[in-house]
Amino acid sequence: MDIDGKLFKKFLERQETYEHQQKEFAADKQHSKGKLTAKERIGLLFDNDTFDEIDAFSLPASSGGEFGRIVNAYGDGVITGHGKISGRIAFAYAQDFSVMGGSLGSIHAAKIMKIQDMALKMGAPIIGFIDSGGARIQEGVASLAGYAGIFNRNVKSSGVIPQISVIMGPAAGGAVYSPSITDFVFMTNKTSYMFVTGPNVVKEVLNEDVSFEELGGATVHMKNSGIAHFVYEDEENTIRGLKKLLSYLPSNNLENPPLVEWRDTEERVEELLREIVPDDPNKPYDIKEVINLIVDKGTFFEVAEGFAMNIIVAFARLSGKTIGIIANQPKVLAGTLDINSSVKAARFIRFCDSFNIPLLTLEDVPGFMPGIDQEHSGIIRHGAKLLYAYADSTVPKITVILRKSYGGAYCVMNSKNLGGDFNFAWPTAEIAVMGPEGAVSILYRRELLESEDPVKLKKELAIKYRDEIANPYVADEKGYIDEVIDPAQTRRKLITAFEALENKHVNVPSRKHGNIPL
Amino acid sequence: MKLHPRRKSNPDEYIAVSQKDKKYKILNPFSEEIIINSKKTDIKIFESDDGFTYLLYKNKKYLVEITEKSQNKYTVMINGVSYSFTVESPISYMRKKYLDKQQVQCKIEKVNAPMPGKIIELLVEENAEIKEGEPIAILEAMKMQNEISSHVSGRVKKIHVRQNDSVAKGELIIEIER
Amino acid sequence: MKIKSLLIANRGEIVIRIASTAKKLDIKIFGIKTSREPNAYYLRFVDEIIDFSQDQEELPEYLDIERIIEAAKERGIQAIHPGYGFLAESPYFAERCEEEKIIFIGPSASAIYKMGNKTIAKQIATKQKVPLLQGSIGNVRNHSEAIEIADKIGYPVILKAAAGGGGRGMRIVEKESQMERMFRTAASEAEKAFNDSSLFIEKYVKNPRHIEFQIIGDKFGNYIHLGERECSIQRKHQKLIEESPSVAINDRLRSEMGNAAIRIARAVNYFNAGTVEFLLDADKKYYFMEMNTRIQVEHPVTEIVTNTDLIELQIIVAENKKLPVKQDDINIKGWAIECRINAEDVQGGFSPSLGTIRRIAYPRGKNIRIDTGVTDMSVVTPYYDSMIAKLIVYGESRKKVLNSCMNALKKFWISGIKTTIPFCIQVMNHKKFKKGDFNTSFIEKELKKPYYQESTDEMLAAYVAAFDFAADLENDRTAFINFEHGKNISPWVLKKRIRSL
Repeated sequence: MDIDGKLFKKFLERQETYEHQQKEFAADKQHSKGKLTAKERIGLLFDNDTFDEIDAFSLPASSGGEFGRIVNAYGDGVITGHGKISGRIAFAYAQDFSVMGGSLGSIHAAKIMKIQDMALKMGAPIIGFIDSGGARIQEGVASLAGYAGIFNRNVKSSGVIPQISVIMGPAAGGAVYSPSITDFVFMTNKTSYMFVTGPNVVKEVLNEDVSFEELGGATVHMKNSGIAHFVYEDEENTIRGLKKLLSYLPSNNLENPPLVEWRDTEERVEELLREIVPDDPNKPYDIKEVINLIVDKGTFFEVAEGFAMNIIVAFARLSGKTIGIIANQPKVLAGTLDINSSVKAARFIRFCDSFNIPLLTLEDVPGFMPGIDQEHSGIIRHGAKLLYAYADSTVPKITVILRKSYGGAYCVMNSKNLGGDFNFAWPTAEIAVMGPEGAVSILYRRELLESEDPVKLKKELAIKYRDEIANPYVADEKGYIDEVIDPAQTRRKLITAFEALENKHVNVPSRKHGNIPL
Repeated sequence: MKLHPRRKSNPDEYIAVSQKDKKYKILNPFSEEIIINSKKTDIKIFESDDGFTYLLYKNKKYLVEITEKSQNKYTVMINGVSYSFTVESPISYMRKKYLDKQQVQCKIEKVNAPMPGKIIELLVEENAEIKEGEPIAILEAMKMQNEISSHVSGRVKKIHVRQNDSVAKGELIIEIER
Repeated sequence: MKIKSLLIANRGEIVIRIASTAKKLDIKIFGIKTSREPNAYYLRFVDEIIDFSQDQEELPEYLDIERIIEAAKERGIQAIHPGYGFLAESPYFAERCEEEKIIFIGPSASAIYKMGNKTIAKQIATKQKVPLLQGSIGNVRNHSEAIEIADKIGYPVILKAAAGGGGRGMRIVEKESQMERMFRTAASEAEKAFNDSSLFIEKYVKNPRHIEFQIIGDKFGNYIHLGERECSIQRKHQKLIEESPSVAINDRLRSEMGNAAIRIARAVNYFNAGTVEFLLDADKKYYFMEMNTRIQVEHPVTEIVTNTDLIELQIIVAENKKLPVKQDDINIKGWAIECRINAEDVQGGFSPSLGTIRRIAYPRGKNIRIDTGVTDMSVVTPYYDSMIAKLIVYGESRKKVLNSCMNALKKFWISGIKTTIPFCIQVMNHKKFKKGDFNTSFIEKELKKPYYQESTDEMLAAYVAAFDFAADLENDRTAFINFEHGKNISPWVLKKRIRSL
């Protein structure tokens, strides 16, 4: 080939223009806003020199009229390609806010769809960096069609390959639905926003003043809406967190999660576990301390830690293998199940089940949250999601009952008859239809009314109830609990139990899909 | 084609920013050549036999403990006194400076519970004007009643607790608009 | 009568302190286990544990008089030592012990009652010609009456709980406009702490020294005083550092004040150990404040400089024996300082620092005494006061003691919680404290920063943070993630997995 020839020259020229464009356009504009450029984000995500970009020189579609200006920049505002993350193939796209505000035109959309199709065909994770003003107004319906095409592929890929969205700037209007379909949403605090309609429209329609941050900032989505699963203070840490998450996940729904070299012993006995749970059933404690003592050191990785904090969902590892943890948090609302916590846990279970991640349930739950607000808002419907998700999942499932396990909540939290593979209990467990106070009031209503000292009688009866009914031994003798275990030995027990379940398979009846109470 | 993201930052450069915005630029924390604020500094970290972590600096031992850590936010205790930092890379430090500049305009001052306890009395109402140092609430902890006072003058924007509420350390009690 | 069995109705370090003397005297020791601290360290020092931890009673275990008495009777325990706090100054408890023929190691119920009631105590002091501060005669009913009296004696005044002690239910009122609110909060605090909301009012002496005299008497009318303790380093009326002797007291004043203390004790037929607290103003005039009818937290400094075992003396007196020492036997030798190591966050306004003590290592040395109630993995709960240990350092002179105390504090290592150690170092390091020029307003007025820091500390902390952050990054980077393992699936699973798609 003639290196000085015309064709090769063009090749070099284009390359130079593109590099120039990225430098000129992007860096200053983005950096002045405390943000990185699309290229820098990609650079941080992938292992050094492993990213290959495709469609770098595609140009925007012409608007077909005189309305609005189109910037004729290479790439049409999005970088797409593939590379290796910690040595594994992954696909990614990164919207470039410096090119027409990262707006989604038809070519821009086509590039994303192409990379989505490839990721699905190859069975590899796909990551999207979102930093976009929304649909490109100049292109009209073509850009809307682009969104629809992306959504369609998001849904097709759901449960087949891990899809992760990283919001690093605005995501408004139609742009929000792709992230909400994907498995996990990362946001960078103070520079990323998600909303269906922005503050200006809210002002116009409702005459309410609200800032970007208050309407759809990272904090709002972490704490109130539950849309953001991970929020970090800056973009480098966000990408670090994303890589950490990926280290727990398999590439697709046929593979198992990766094994990570771990620095912990299988036999570790934790005597502290015997003491963390207070004997007094009304006293709170932090379930995260329990989790940290059980799993491989330093592997506890919480998902959506700011939302519905009465339940903890997290990834962790046991002897190097990924597990998903669902744990009631007695520290918050006494660990009761309410609408938000049910939905949070249900979605997490569905994810783990899709990707062959075994489930560990740590249970200390007094019941479902009572109240008009909860009932009227549909705690029945939402609680059913959690129940459905547990029963429908076919991965290995283990439950450990630490303390309270009452009523409907007992059933829901992966009880034996709902499909738990191993159900363990600590000696402190209280398993019954309801707590001692309530039970005694119903069963001995008359006696209590007639008693001279009802307070004392009630107390005595409550103790008797605890001795005879609300303990793990009754359930153990009837087979609803497989074994009552020493808390200090929990880690070892779980490792061997999960090992035994490694080759679990359940035949599910053939159907198009079940009808989860959405 | 290949993207070659030029690493603008030396990977071994960290900036620890204290709460009072004091900046410590630390180069090569793992090496023999630790440089802090352009001065070569000889520090070593050890684990003692009885399970303490300590620093050796200028032939003196310092008991150290990382008491809080979330993402890049750290609280480190040295000889019983805590210091809080965010650890930044050169890039995130630029971002932090930019965001801090924007934050200055924020006019809402938050008063948080200094310790866990129970609010036994609220001394102000919403929309009331209060002066710096004026008591806001009485918090009972460890059987002692403690006055919580405002550190700024302004108007009470919102009260987040009610009488007899139990509060955790750091829980938001009221917001004051300056 | 020789005491052979003893129930210590308390918790924490004082149980261990009392148990050590009881062991020496060959007494069988009983302790109480509670649901709030079922694994407490002090339980390792008792011979037999009385388990109150199982059933949940409304009343806190150490305050449940009937339950404690019943437990003692059941086991035929001869004596109860109440320690300090809790039931130590409950006349009712002393009375119930008397009724049940259990030896209460402390004064009689009537002496506790009289001294516990501030109004009666003041009347006794007046009668004994011990100087006092001007104030209300008896309790004040409401804030307007308080204002009336304050107008007469002049501001500032102090409101105090009639039944109180330990700083609870106390408020200083600088001007009339504060009176209503201060009265209300002091009364409600008193109500909560002592079940008695009555308050009295007295003239507030600005910047006095807090000087107290340890006395002990037997049931035969013999009394001695064991010199003074200076407890002027206090915050919100909570003592933090105590010493004996005091730089402010000379021999003449010591014997004068000591005798005043004994006069008060004698007036109520006091027996057993007690402490008479005085304020000492800048002109070395002293005023009677109150009498504490129990062993005090800070008793070790007195024990050291007088070479006595106060707990032993308490037991001897309780056994109806004569005091084995006379006033002339008591010589004050050397100097002793006690630092209270509290689980408090000094930087956060001395707020409680709760959590688990991950590790604790004590300074060692021949002039160091440690009285502690905790060990590795002890839990600091919000239910009890925050003191976890006391460091007592002694030596020939105050100057030498201050030096060795500072060194000892620097070797006192605790991880897991924050403590008052940096505060104590800062005080030891203070020019005026070294000179002996201080009073009860020291912390407020002289101590600009309540904790000790070296100029390079922050830099070192910054390094630790950066080091850890970098280590995490390095771990992330080098972690070996074995993706191949995830593809290596048993055919048993894989075939079925594919089939069921």
